[in-house]
Amino acid sequence: MCGSHQEMRMNTRKILVVDDDPTVLHCCQRILEPEDYHVSCVPSADDAFDNLEMGYFDLMIMDVKMPEQDGFYLLRKVREKWPLDRFLELPVLVMTGYPTQETLRELKKGGARQIISKPFTPDELLAAVKIALERSKRNGEEKSIGD
Amino acid sequence: MAGEINEAVEHSVGAHAGFALSLAGLDRKVLYTTRSKFIGSFLLVALLVGLVSIYTGRQLLNRTVLSQTESRVSLDLNAAQKIYQGQVDTVLKTVTTAALDKEFQDLIKKDETEKLSMKLRALAERGGLDFLGVASPEGIVISRARPAVHAKPGKTPGYYNPLVEYVLKHGSSIGGTVVLEPSFLMAEDPDLVKQARTTLVPTSMAAPRPEKEELAGMAMGAGSGLYEGKKLIGVLYGGQLLNGNHSFVDGVRDALFQNDMYEGRSIGVTTIFLGDTRISSNACSPGGKRAIGTRASEKVRSTVLDRGGRWTDRAFVVTDWYLTAYEPIIDIFGKRVGMLATAVLEAKYRDVQQRALIPLVFVTIAGMLVAISMGFFLSNRITKPIRALIAASRKVSEGNFAPEIGPRSKDEMGVLQKTFVEMLASLQERDKRQSMESEIKLLQSEKQASIGRLAAGVAHEINNPLTGVLTFTHMLLRRKDIDEAMKEDLTIIAKATERVRTIVKGLLEFSRETILEREPADLNELVASAVKLVENSALVKGVKLSFRPTQSLPLRRVDKSAMQGVILNIIMNALDATSKGGSILVTTSVVDFGKTIEIGVSDTGHGIAPQDLEKIFEPFFTTKDVGQGTGLGLSVSLGIVERHGGSIHVESALHKGSAFIVRLPSGDEDEH
Repeated sequence: MCGSHQEMRMNTRKILVVDDDPTVLHCCQRILEPEDYHVSCVPSADDAFDNLEMGYFDLMIMDVKMPEQDGFYLLRKVREKWPLDRFLELPVLVMTGYPTQETLRELKKGGARQIISKPFTPDELLAAVKIALERSKRNGEEKSIGD
Repeated sequence: MAGEINEAVEHSVGAHAGFALSLAGLDRKVLYTTRSKFIGSFLLVALLVGLVSIYTGRQLLNRTVLSQTESRVSLDLNAAQKIYQGQVDTVLKTVTTAALDKEFQDLIKKDETEKLSMKLRALAERGGLDFLGVASPEGIVISRARPAVHAKPGKTPGYYNPLVEYVLKHGSSIGGTVVLEPSFLMAEDPDLVKQARTTLVPTSMAAPRPEKEELAGMAMGAGSGLYEGKKLIGVLYGGQLLNGNHSFVDGVRDALFQNDMYEGRSIGVTTIFLGDTRISSNACSPGGKRAIGTRASEKVRSTVLDRGGRWTDRAFVVTDWYLTAYEPIIDIFGKRVGMLATAVLEAKYRDVQQRALIPLVFVTIAGMLVAISMGFFLSNRITKPIRALIAASRKVSEGNFAPEIGPRSKDEMGVLQKTFVEMLASLQERDKRQSMESEIKLLQSEKQASIGRLAAGVAHEINNPLTGVLTFTHMLLRRKDIDEAMKEDLTIIAKATERVRTIVKGLLEFSRETILEREPADLNELVASAVKLVENSALVKGVKLSFRPTQSLPLRRVDKSAMQGVILNIIMNALDATSKGGSILVTTSVVDFGKTIEIGVSDTGHGIAPQDLEKIFEPFFTTKDVGQGTGLGLSVSLGIVERHGGSIHVESALHKGSAFIVRLPSGDEDEH
């Protein structure tokens, strides 16, 4: 777990990063934290889901290919638990090292907002995060999707 | 992959096996038909020949037997006539001999009728005569062997003695047949009347006759004058009545046929007719009685009696078919009074004829048997190579290309066998070629697939660490506390990493089957934008880049970004190959009567070595310096163009330049 609730400011965006590779988690943290994002890192889909149930997040960045449960599973579970017609959308930014047309189409269908292919430069990631968050802003007021 | 191939092979073998099975059922039927056709034709020929020979043999036999039998019957009749004549002569001799007896003359002179009668009686018994008498020169009977009670000697009204009449009239002796009136018979012997009386039996073929009985008699008689010196003192007459007297006919039969019997019936029959009525015969009625009183047919009567001819023909006599011969009997006055007939039972000769036909029937049956076996043998001989060929083709369908086809024939079958073997050879060759081609294709696709898998694995494994390298290099570059030298080093790291990223990206693009998103596009515009992207680099390098579009290019559905990437890739390759002062010409055109769109990129660069020309589309093949190319560009480009239904052609001359032509069908029907 990275970051802490005590240091959190009111306008700080909370981001949940899911990837089985610690390098990627570390990179995301290093890129996003200096930009005033509050970053929580988890290594698996199940951990991510637990975190989502526990607290509020403005964005989830997740990998597609993970051992045990993959990104599709997580995406599906999220949409099942918090259906779009009843809860505010949790924007999802997907990182993938293998962006085939099929994968992209399926991710979009599953509700992924933005897709970034690995490897990426810090600027690329920041740009993608920004776009994903902007879109979510347009969606409506900020409102927790958790309980 | 291998599993799939096995499956495919099994599938095709299965299909062939099914075909072979149905073929087996079919050819068995066909062969049976062929065989039965053969046997049938042979059998038909044998049967025809047999039947014709039986028929001809029968006709020949019939004719021979008939003519032989007819001549035999004719001869029989001649013999019967001789016997008849002999009998007549016997009667004549008896009478004439007696007439020479002096005792008769004495007794006549002395008018001793009693004694005369006794002598006559003795003479009649000795000579077997039915009647015997003496008449005066006036024609009046003086004495009789059996004087009737009521018939006194002397002139009796209505009495007519043809023998006495003849002798007195002609003055000579006479012997022959005579017809005797009932009054004569009555006068001579009342028993003779009874013997002569014949009850007529209605006969269908005979001429109608109103009477119910025939009362007249027919006799072999003789008359002779009795002389004293030269003076006629009386007439001696006598004879045998033929009516009911069967000793003559039976005698004839026994003499001619030696009592030859056939199935209980005598084969020979002799009959004496008075007029057309049987008065003495050994033809028997169904009851076994002699057929006395039946009559000859109208035809026979008219031929023999009316016209005096001889009749020889088949005739149905009483109960059976006979071959018959009739001859008229002429009385002493030259009148036709009756008929003598002999007949031979036809059945016996029929049987002889039939027996003669039996060998012919046997020969026919034997011929048919030979025909069947010949047909069987020949059809076997002819269909044997066919069956061998069928078996061979079944083996071929099971995958054996060198099956046994049996011994070579020298006829048309041999030609078929030869053709079959040749066909097998070419089949085998084609099969080999196909399997080689598919093997090559398989190898290629396997290669491609393994490259794909490798690329995917590599991409995934490399991308994460690359993310780290990229991130931290850039993070370090952002720091203000590093010196210029360090910044330069970091920049090199960042660039190198970018290159790795490009290679991995190319690998991924090559390996994945991305879905083309097609939309109608103006290819001129698309090519122009690609040219524009390179224009700057060309300017920098000092290469003249020009685009010459055709005016009438139709809209075509393509994946715009993929196709632009292809054009861009080809132009960039051209730029890489062309040194300063060179030129690159990009064109679009419509060829093949509007069916094909061509995008051409030609340069004046260093060209492609002939040995490299065929490798340039292979993945990872590159002639560029390390770091300048991944070797994936053209192979990815070709994949994209091919998925658009098109192709890429290359012409190149070393040190003179190359021309790449992308050909796309103008229609969209080729979309995958």
